[in-house]
Amino acid sequence: MSEYDPLEGLRPAPVKQDFSQPFWDGAAQGKFLLQYCPESGKYQFYPRPVSVQTGKRNLEWREVSGRGTVYSHTVTYRSPIPVKGIKPYIVALVELEEGVRVMANLVGCPVEAVKIGMLVKLAWVKAGEDNFPAFEPA
Amino acid sequence: MAQRDIAIIGASEVKIELRSGRTTYELAGEAMAGALASAGLEKHEIDGLAVTSCFSDAGNPFYSPILSAYLGLQLDWCQTTDLGGAGASGSVVRAAMAIRAGLCHTVLVLSADAQSTTNRGDIQGFRGEFQYPVGIMGPPGYFGLLSNRYDHQYGLDPKALAKLAVTQRDHALLNPLACEKLRKPLTEAEYLASPMISHPIRMLDCVMVADGASACIVTTTERAKALGARRMAHPIGYGERVNHLETENCPDITRVGHEAAGAKALAQAGMKIGDIKQFHPYDDFLIAIILQMEALGFCKPGEGCKYVLEHDFHFNGDLPLNTGGGQISAGQAGLAGGAHNLTEALRQLFGEAEGRQVKDNSNAMVTGIGWIPYGRNWGSSTVLVLEAA
Repeated sequence: MSEYDPLEGLRPAPVKQDFSQPFWDGAAQGKFLLQYCPESGKYQFYPRPVSVQTGKRNLEWREVSGRGTVYSHTVTYRSPIPVKGIKPYIVALVELEEGVRVMANLVGCPVEAVKIGMLVKLAWVKAGEDNFPAFEPA
Repeated sequence: MAQRDIAIIGASEVKIELRSGRTTYELAGEAMAGALASAGLEKHEIDGLAVTSCFSDAGNPFYSPILSAYLGLQLDWCQTTDLGGAGASGSVVRAAMAIRAGLCHTVLVLSADAQSTTNRGDIQGFRGEFQYPVGIMGPPGYFGLLSNRYDHQYGLDPKALAKLAVTQRDHALLNPLACEKLRKPLTEAEYLASPMISHPIRMLDCVMVADGASACIVTTTERAKALGARRMAHPIGYGERVNHLETENCPDITRVGHEAAGAKALAQAGMKIGDIKQFHPYDDFLIAIILQMEALGFCKPGEGCKYVLEHDFHFNGDLPLNTGGGQISAGQAGLAGGAHNLTEALRQLFGEAEGRQVKDNSNAMVTGIGWIPYGRNWGSSTVLVLEAA
């Protein structure tokens, strides 16, 4: 568990799509799996029912590094999560080494320290009972 | 090149209210009655309906036919346009298409939403699965991500945003249909001091969701003349882009669909961006106006703030912009919000903008923005060029 995570214990459970199940099964084992399109050689995130490149259903699931950089960020002062006194927290768009972007909380990082381009690594948090991807400074 | 066979002959807007307690159908009824009066048209002339989807009736899979029953309309064509805030401009062109296809001849184009009174929307998919768990603060959160990236690439000048906020507020003061809660003078200092929601988005960067409705009548130019229409506007150019750069995993998020939609609309109209006399951009957030100015070619990418600081966007300035207050200062009538920008353009083209009438009302550009995809800017972009007859 991270030192700075104002959302700890507050994240709502994800409402899952059927074709996403391998992602959640991987997450339960601490593995970050991405869909991979063998024809284009491209990864994609969030999970889709088809390759967004070809429209075909020959996607593979591959475990990825979980290393990336902050593409952008926003510090949330007014939260949609109805908890009084919740401290400001960071939502970031993280660009993974594999060439996809993931929207996630940046934990273990004071809100004034977040910078575009900073190196980050995967850090699992809980959303309901599920493992959910977050990131922390690398 | 531009076709002038289609005419818009009437327009109306219901006063925007916060938590009005009214229903979708009540608002729609007032908007239709207003549009008929504006066009000098009898209800039985209407044989088509194009309506924007809404939050207040979002669970209704039979929305357009049930709405038409409430309005007493027997129709030969009807549809719901689910492009969100781009639905109003999109509906005008869908109406024109249906008329040109011979399906109908006179279409009521209507947008109504009582989102601040009743919200039956339930958007899941990637939102419920991957966005809600991160606690992102809805649209202000997404625009926070977009704004910080823009600032990183180009520099985002709060003074430019403040200038837009104040100009639009000045216009809302002149628009009796703007929401009363917002019809109070605003200074740049007050904008800059407004509370941070999702950095760098301040409260006064955002729209306030309210209730409202607008309608206009679309028919053939020939029929409009036969009906003795007092004034009309032609939709002479249109472009639409849904899911811009969708297959790029890591696009530049400051590039918006209006770059494609705008080029198409201007080409169809046979115009250059410098020919546009007034600009009514969809404004859910102030930075959206700047991004659209860049995408449409009013200025180069990254030069939007400089452009804003160099021009006067008041109704009597060098590029009149959102002269009804825009949604940010008139209130956003839910998904009908985009119809505010459209209806104000029509009032200007008809010469009926009263104390805020622009001098040269020969044409206008109206844009739409609808819904927000995962980690990008916005999903639907529309650009409509209108010309006064």
